[in-house]
Amino acid sequence: MGMITRKLDQWLQAGLITPDQHTAILAFESDHPQHANWWIYSFMILGAAIIGLGVISLIAANWVDIPDSVKLGADFALLALIAGGIYAQYPNQQHGIWFEVLLVSFMLLCLSSIGLISQIFHTGGEWYHALLFWAVITFLLSLFASNLFTRFLWVTLFLHGVLWSIVVPIGVEFEHTWNELPAVLLLAPLLTAVLYQASVQVKTLQGFSSSLFFWFQLSAVVALVFADITHSGGDMENYQVARYIPAYIAGGILAGSIAMQRNYSLLNKVLLLAALALLLLYYHPDLLFSGESRYSLFSAYDHSDVSFWQADDIRAPLLTLAILFLYAVHAGNIGHQRTFNLVTFLIGLRFVILYFQAMGGLAATGIGLIVSGGLIMGIAWLWYKGREHLQQWTKGLKA
Amino acid sequence: MNKRTWLIVALVLPLIALVGTAYLKNMQRASGTEVTLPIEGFDPRDLLSGHYLTYNVAYGVGQVCESGDGGYASYSGKAAICLKPTLGFYPADSLPSDCTLLIRGECDAGRFNAGIERFYIPEEHAAALDTKVRDKQGSIVLSVDTDGNAVLKDLLIDGKPWKTALETAN
Repeated sequence: MGMITRKLDQWLQAGLITPDQHTAILAFESDHPQHANWWIYSFMILGAAIIGLGVISLIAANWVDIPDSVKLGADFALLALIAGGIYAQYPNQQHGIWFEVLLVSFMLLCLSSIGLISQIFHTGGEWYHALLFWAVITFLLSLFASNLFTRFLWVTLFLHGVLWSIVVPIGVEFEHTWNELPAVLLLAPLLTAVLYQASVQVKTLQGFSSSLFFWFQLSAVVALVFADITHSGGDMENYQVARYIPAYIAGGILAGSIAMQRNYSLLNKVLLLAALALLLLYYHPDLLFSGESRYSLFSAYDHSDVSFWQADDIRAPLLTLAILFLYAVHAGNIGHQRTFNLVTFLIGLRFVILYFQAMGGLAATGIGLIVSGGLIMGIAWLWYKGREHLQQWTKGLKA
Repeated sequence: MNKRTWLIVALVLPLIALVGTAYLKNMQRASGTEVTLPIEGFDPRDLLSGHYLTYNVAYGVGQVCESGDGGYASYSGKAAICLKPTLGFYPADSLPSDCTLLIRGECDAGRFNAGIERFYIPEEHAAALDTKVRDKQGSIVLSVDTDGNAVLKDLLIDGKPWKTALETAN
C-alpha cells in the first residue's frame, strides 16, 4: 500500500488524477488487499521443496535397520497427514500460504514415496517412468495450485518424464549411450508447443501455459544450439528414423494447430510453419548436410578444400539464423516484445560466434583481437539500433 | 462435483496409487515361486551405480539374446528364459508350451533384462557388497509368478542373506 500511496500522491500533485479518483483508488486498494508478499510465498515453498529433497535423500540413504513395513507405514501416514492438512487449508486457498506449502510438500513426498517403493521392492524401472507415474497421480492436485512455482515444478517433471518415456523405448542396441538425445531434443520443443497450444485452449489447463511457454522457448533454444554445434562439428551420427517418429508426429500436430489458429494472420502462420519445417530439416543428417566442415571451431586446423556453401559449419549457422529470424519476425509482428528482444539477441550472438568460427585464427594476433573487439561492438550497436527498425517493420507487415 | 470433492479425489488418488503399488509388489513377492540364481558383475566400472548394485544374472543357459544363426547378430525384443522343465533361452513367440517356470524379459544390446538387475543397498554397506559381488559371491532370490514376472526378494552372499553375511564378516 505504501508504494501505491506514494505514487498516487505524485500523480495527484502532477494533476494526472483528481482528488476523488485518488480517494476512490485508495479505498479500492484497501478493500482488496494484495495476496501475501511474493517473497514469503517463494521462501516458504522453497523451504518445503528443500525439506522434500531432504526426505528423498534420507530415503536414498536406505536405512537398513528400519523394517520395510515401518518405512512404508510412516511414509503413507505422513502423506495422509499432509493430505488432511491440505484439505483443512482449502477454504483459504486464495490467500493461504500453508495450502500451497502443504501442496508442494505432498507432491514431493509422493515422488519420494515412489523412490521408497522402488528401493524396498527393488523395481528396475527407469527414472523417467517414475517421473511420469508421479505426474499422472498428482495431475489433479496440480490443478489446485495457485502458485507459479508449484505448477512449474509439475510441468517440468512431467515434461522430462514424458519426453524420455516416449523416445528411449524406440530403437534398441544403444542402451547406456546418449544416442536418443537428439531425438529428445527435437521432440521437446515440438511436444511442449503442442501442449502449450492445448493449455491455452482449455480453461482448466491455462494455469500451465506460462510454464509450458517457458519450456518451449528454452527447449527450442537448446535444440537449435545442439543441432548447430553437432552439424558444425561435421556430423550427426546414429540417426535412427524410428526415434524421430514421435517428433514428426508432434510436428504434424503442431503444424495443424498453427494452421488452424484464428489469432494468427496468414503471415504468422507461414513464418511459424517455415521455422518448423527448417527445424525438422535441421535434425536430418543428409537432406541439407554433407558431413564435411570447412572451419574447425575448437582447433587451429581448417579444411579449406571444402567449398564454402558445401560446408556444414556454414550451412548450420545459416539455418540457425534463418529459424531465429523467422521466429523473431513472428514475435515482433504479434507484439511479443521480450521474445523479440531475446531472439534478436541470439541472432547477434550467433553472428559473433560465426565470426570466431571463420576467423578464429585471426583473434590469436594483436591486430586480430582489435578487429574482433571492434566487430563485436559493431554487431552489438547494429543489434541495438537495428532491432527497433526490425520490430517496426515486422509490426507493419500484413498478410 | 464441486471443487472440494475434486480436491478429495486429487488427494486420495496418489495415496491409492502408491499404497496399491506397494500392495501389489508385496503380493507378487509373497505369492510367486522362489528361485535363487547366481549373479556376476558385467561392467567393472559401473557395478555400483548410486546406491544400488547392477549385475548380470547367470541363468546358466549359455548364449542369451543371440539370433540363433551362429553369427554375432543379437536378438532384440521380448524374450523368456525357461527354468523348468528344460533350461533355455527363447524369443517370446517361440517359448515351448510345456515350460512351467519361466522369467520374461527383453533383449537389449545383447543382454537379457527382466527388471531384476538392480538391487538397492544401504549407503554404508555399498563398498563391501560391491566387492563381494565382484568376487562372484553373490546370488539373488526371486519370486516368479505363473506369467513369468520376477521380483527380487533378497541378495545372498555366499548363500546367506546379505545382512547376515555382513554381520558375520564384521
